[in-house]
Amino acid sequence: MNDITRRTFFSTALASLLARDGQASQGLPGLPHFAGKAKRVIYLFQHGAPSQLDLFDYKPNLTKLRGENLPESVRMGQRLTGMTAYQAKFPTAPSIFKFNQCGQSGMWLSELLPHTAKVADDICLIRSLHTEAINHDPAVTFFQTGFQLAGRPSIGSWLAYGLGSMSEDLPAFVVMVSQGKGGSQALADRQWASGFLPSKFAGVKFRAGADPVLYLSDPEGYDRSARRRFLDDLSKLNSLKFREQQDPEISTRIAQYEMAFRMQASVPDLTDLSKEPESTFEMYGPDSRKPGSYAANCVLARRLAERGVRFIQLFHRGWDQHSNLPRDIRLQCEQTDQPSAALVRDLKQRGLLEDTIIVWGGEFGRTVYSQGTLTETDYGRDHHPRCFSMWLAGGGIKGGLTYGATDDFSYNIAQDAMDVHDLHATMLHCLGVDHLRLTFKFQGRHYRLTDIQGRVVRALVS
Amino acid sequence: MPALLVLLVLVTLPAGAQTGVEFNRDVRPILSDKCFGCHGPDAANKKIALRLDSEAAAKADLGGRRAVVEGSPESSELIRRITSAHKGLRMPPLASGHTLTSEQIETLKRWIAEGAKWQKHWALLTPVRRPPPEVRTGGWAKNPIDHFILERLEKEGLKPSAEASRETLLRRVSLDLTGLPPSPSEIEAFLKDESAGAYERAVTRLLASPRYGERMAIRWLDAARYADTNGYQFDGERTMWRWRDWVIQAFNANKPFDQFTLEQIAGDLLPGATLDQKIATGFNRNHRGNTEDGIIPEEYAVEYVVDRVETTSAVFLGLTMGCGRCHNHKYDPITQKEFYQFYAYFNNVPESGRAMKYGNSPPLVAAPTPDQQERLNAIARRIGETEAVLAGNAAEARRARAAWEEKIKSGAPVYWAPEVMLDGAFPLDFGSPGVVGSAASFDGRNPIDTNAAGQFDIDDRFSLSAWVRPDCSDCTLFGRHGATPRARGFGLHLESGKLSPRIINVWESDATKMESDARLEPGRWYHVAWTYDGSKMAAGHALFVDGRPVKLETKQDNLYRPFRNAGAKVSLPFRIAPFNFTGRMDDLRVYSRVLETEEIESLAVGRSLNEIAASPEAARARAEQRQLEWYFLDHASPDATRAAWKQLAALKGEREEFERTFPTSMIMAESPVRKRTHILNRGQYDRPGEEVEPGLPAALPPLPEGAPNNRLGFAKWLIDPANPLTARVTVNRLWQMVFGAGLVKTVEDFGQQGEWPSHPELLDWLATEFVRSGWDTKAMMRLMVTSAAYRQSSQATPDLIARDPENRLLARGPRFRLPAEMVRDSALSAAGLLTAKTGGPSVKPYQPEGLWKELIMQDMDYVQSKGADLYRRSLYTFWKRTVAPPMMANFDSALREACTVRESRTNTPLQALNMMNDVTFVEAARFIGQRMMKEGGADADSRLRHGFLLVTGRAPSASEMEVLRGNLRYHLDYFAGAAGKAEAYLKQGETPPDPKLPARDLAAYASVASLLLNLDEAITKE
Repeated sequence: MNDITRRTFFSTALASLLARDGQASQGLPGLPHFAGKAKRVIYLFQHGAPSQLDLFDYKPNLTKLRGENLPESVRMGQRLTGMTAYQAKFPTAPSIFKFNQCGQSGMWLSELLPHTAKVADDICLIRSLHTEAINHDPAVTFFQTGFQLAGRPSIGSWLAYGLGSMSEDLPAFVVMVSQGKGGSQALADRQWASGFLPSKFAGVKFRAGADPVLYLSDPEGYDRSARRRFLDDLSKLNSLKFREQQDPEISTRIAQYEMAFRMQASVPDLTDLSKEPESTFEMYGPDSRKPGSYAANCVLARRLAERGVRFIQLFHRGWDQHSNLPRDIRLQCEQTDQPSAALVRDLKQRGLLEDTIIVWGGEFGRTVYSQGTLTETDYGRDHHPRCFSMWLAGGGIKGGLTYGATDDFSYNIAQDAMDVHDLHATMLHCLGVDHLRLTFKFQGRHYRLTDIQGRVVRALVS
Repeated sequence: MPALLVLLVLVTLPAGAQTGVEFNRDVRPILSDKCFGCHGPDAANKKIALRLDSEAAAKADLGGRRAVVEGSPESSELIRRITSAHKGLRMPPLASGHTLTSEQIETLKRWIAEGAKWQKHWALLTPVRRPPPEVRTGGWAKNPIDHFILERLEKEGLKPSAEASRETLLRRVSLDLTGLPPSPSEIEAFLKDESAGAYERAVTRLLASPRYGERMAIRWLDAARYADTNGYQFDGERTMWRWRDWVIQAFNANKPFDQFTLEQIAGDLLPGATLDQKIATGFNRNHRGNTEDGIIPEEYAVEYVVDRVETTSAVFLGLTMGCGRCHNHKYDPITQKEFYQFYAYFNNVPESGRAMKYGNSPPLVAAPTPDQQERLNAIARRIGETEAVLAGNAAEARRARAAWEEKIKSGAPVYWAPEVMLDGAFPLDFGSPGVVGSAASFDGRNPIDTNAAGQFDIDDRFSLSAWVRPDCSDCTLFGRHGATPRARGFGLHLESGKLSPRIINVWESDATKMESDARLEPGRWYHVAWTYDGSKMAAGHALFVDGRPVKLETKQDNLYRPFRNAGAKVSLPFRIAPFNFTGRMDDLRVYSRVLETEEIESLAVGRSLNEIAASPEAARARAEQRQLEWYFLDHASPDATRAAWKQLAALKGEREEFERTFPTSMIMAESPVRKRTHILNRGQYDRPGEEVEPGLPAALPPLPEGAPNNRLGFAKWLIDPANPLTARVTVNRLWQMVFGAGLVKTVEDFGQQGEWPSHPELLDWLATEFVRSGWDTKAMMRLMVTSAAYRQSSQATPDLIARDPENRLLARGPRFRLPAEMVRDSALSAAGLLTAKTGGPSVKPYQPEGLWKELIMQDMDYVQSKGADLYRRSLYTFWKRTVAPPMMANFDSALREACTVRESRTNTPLQALNMMNDVTFVEAARFIGQRMMKEGGADADSRLRHGFLLVTGRAPSASEMEVLRGNLRYHLDYFAGAAGKAEAYLKQGETPPDPKLPARDLAAYASVASLLLNLDEAITKE
């Protein structure tokens, strides 16, 4: 190759590599497998496991059984956690909260959720979920990756890998964590890690404060014009290297530095809520002015959705109410009810709800029997994997639907059981992805999010 | 551009088109990937008649139809079905998610047409050492590796590249062997040495550097899932760095890889196992441990063993054994039963499924560092010297003692008791008749409280000793509990008259409880003593009645959290007779150490020294004699003897205190009674099936002659030359370190689903060479880095990149981004900041604030290290599993949750932000800037050249210099422009700049240095 053609080749190749990498990444060929209604997901993970009995699964007949030992015919010898396995009695603890019928469909919801009640016709309440895990970490890992032990890709990573990104200056998978007011269990970065998928598909955690993304801000004393010049010179030097080496990694690197530069502008712009109108804060509640709160993260979730982020996941900690449940669950609901409902309304009014799936739920349910002493006003609940509730909205999910039922004690599923794999398969279906065909070969095996199970629950899909 | 993309798509490695179809290379991968899922080793479970994983089965007559008919694709059912136009008949079925490409169908047809020759899976055959092939191109090959590489290149019609420049080569080999770039003086010395063998000498120097062991250890830490925390939810701290030290040391000492393997798998079982050999077995204890409240321990006990199986099989055998956990392996000849037989080798550890919430979980060993061992030896020497002094004075002492005994016969009563580490002594002289003076009488409602003693937690050692005369049989003698005998704390109880020592955090899910065989009869005096060694285990307790050990039955042994857990506390002080104790008690003594048996025996004497002295010597018990002796030495012996005796006690106390500072390390051990292993149905802990014995898969060779059928025999089997996998898998991983990808790219999987080797004969040659050399790892590394293949320039052409994008054929030298650790270590090294210290506990370098707090539970925060510890090599960075060091995670390091052997490299904007703005790199740039100004001469050009050399190991080109000059000028102007900018910029990082350097200039050079650190070349091995 003579010098002229070499240069021409270089510049064309580089330009097109830049175009490829600078653009939103494309995802896998052949995906989506079919036209799905949803393009993105906002997953509101209620970390610690909210009590289905006090929020969603109305059991009026329990009142008269208050304090009575949970019948063995209901428990059927199923395993308990090590925290209550030694407990001498299992006193039935009906919820002390009132339930009301809401919306056109008459969905039963607890008085703790007055705002969710107002969007009842937009949400699909599932009361028949169950999981295999009985402790937090494996249970969260199971929801995030389809497997209880760490090491597999999280659902957001699967989607970033399969469907690619729709944004040129934001990651495809963004995570935000907020602190609740109750018992907090630990979270881990690996809950949004990419497992055996390349690490570029890992969730990027946005944090409250000056550096929403790690290392986003230039050092003190170094301004944007200096950074621009820096990158121009860096690009020149790297291009010289590319001419010599021809290694495409070099041009990718040049492109990634440019994306970094764009992120330095786009991320602060995204997280700057000062230009949001007053009505936004009214809708999401007073907490939404506090950076890092669940409410503020809900506003950010909407802004990320608007900017094309594929998978937005919020974790709100503090639902692990082994004791003082009535007091703590009220506090948690005060923080989460209004902003969660506001997100549904807000997306709807912007026309985004139809192609966004919102998911609200924890990692398992809680026991009908009290952990610790049951009093008139107080009780605690232990982990309960055998049944629990979640709600979904938007993105092709039927609104106003109450799906599945549990027995009189909300202990076992009575109708339409649905497990974590089914939820994943159904979410993927709404996104136009056949869960059987989104796979990655690792250690000789074709892995998928739904492991070796999963069934699309068509009843949920409109 | 489209043309380039098309080329990229067309490149495939196996070159089957020109030559005949080869089963292992061309056919097996298709059958395995697309068919074995159903028609493989697990077919029977799915009730599928046809199996394609064995020749006999695939060619068998199944009712008139045969899947494979040699020479006749048309009559082969396999071909009919994969080409069937009928959707319902066509294989693979739609629902499997698999499809065959037309090339794959063509390959299968050709294979059958050519006679359907079968081969056993290559990786299970013993490696065959073929002589290095003849090559047409003379003069290029430097060692046998090159013959194999060149033969393939010639076959492909490619030529090797020219040798890389000497600067590039030195940087490449320095990074590969030490993980650090060469210093300017090393570069200068190397460039000056133009004599033959200069490169080889550089290799020798690098292999001898202590940095070599650190570099090799990093990847081994990934494989062994090393971390400083337990993982899972709470993710508390553990200390396994003594194991890490062992690994570094082993690499530096070039411990032969077979011995390296043997010690890590079964060092504890070697005859006369040394401390180091025990520490080595930490390899199989580096897995995660769950401490979550409420787990079912049996469930996780299974996970730990499975992790050992998966890790050991991936690291040494390149097998995905874990697939056999729930069912027969879908691809490889490993049945579910064989999985559990393999599992049985690792299932005999005396361990609990619930790990200790803080610190190491048993089994463990006190693991003093070499420095500590030295000091321990020094103390032992001084003890010996002091004992010699005592022996020298013995005659004089004997005389003095006789006189003293005579004297005390008639004196006021005196009692002996140990004084070392006495935490509190309570004579309880309250007027009731006692044993040692008078005693206290209790009516069940009059406990005595004290805050002066007994403030122990579960990891403290203690001893409690007292005389008791109980009138109750269900009561508590003493201890420190909350409001009830089942509340948090510790205490010695009577239950139906049986003595019951207890330590409780939460009854009964987090507690130790034991019960004596013997019962205490009411109304009789007993001496009782309870010792505890701080191990948190039931086995760490001992109980003595009247000076003799009594048998204890363990009722509960699942203590895992300290009293101080998560802000919890014991609500009451140490209390004597806290719950319902009626009767008398006398002379309670609390020690903060484990009393020796002889001391307890003597404490239980109950006679005054005066009485003993008054009795004839022959009538004295051994314990009584000892009492006299000890009291005399303590109080009445001649000055010289007493001084030596006190000195001896002080030294023993010093040793005891010192021993408590030793780090511990988790190790493998065998339960005295072999634990039973069952096949677990669907892999579930609570669904045991048939019981199995330890054993090896039938597809692999048997245990070597004479090897025991336990973990030790297993380890010997791993390193037996008959094992077809260990040497291959190991050299392949070393190859990956050097060349970027393994000869078998799937370094973790040599099974049927693994990739066919790019150079199968080279792999076998290297494997046999490794064994032949005595498993000499340094020699193997030397062989690789001195090959001509390695020394090639990494410059590529678009054609070559299109032809071989991953550089598997090695028509050019390796070029790829550095692993995370090297990215950081190189920057620190160029800055002159790197701390050259080997080994020791993990450190906590810069990390953005609050990262742990946001995710974890209450009581563990990241406390950043200071001074030199900020700049240690990255393998010493504290690794918290749930919140990995962010820079490491950004640069694709293994996350240490589970074994990782495949290296991964991505290229992301987060890496760019990390390099530009992380204080680690901003500060490093500042120091490079400082070095440019101080070492780089007076003029700007030579300073720029110096900085460039520090970072890239070479001199810049003219066009590069032009950019650098412009950049420097820009930054000089920029920092001159506004007051305070330079000062602010220079403030980053904890080590201040040289105050003599003008701020504006330094800031400008630092900015240029940052530019250099951000170069693709700076983070790339070229």
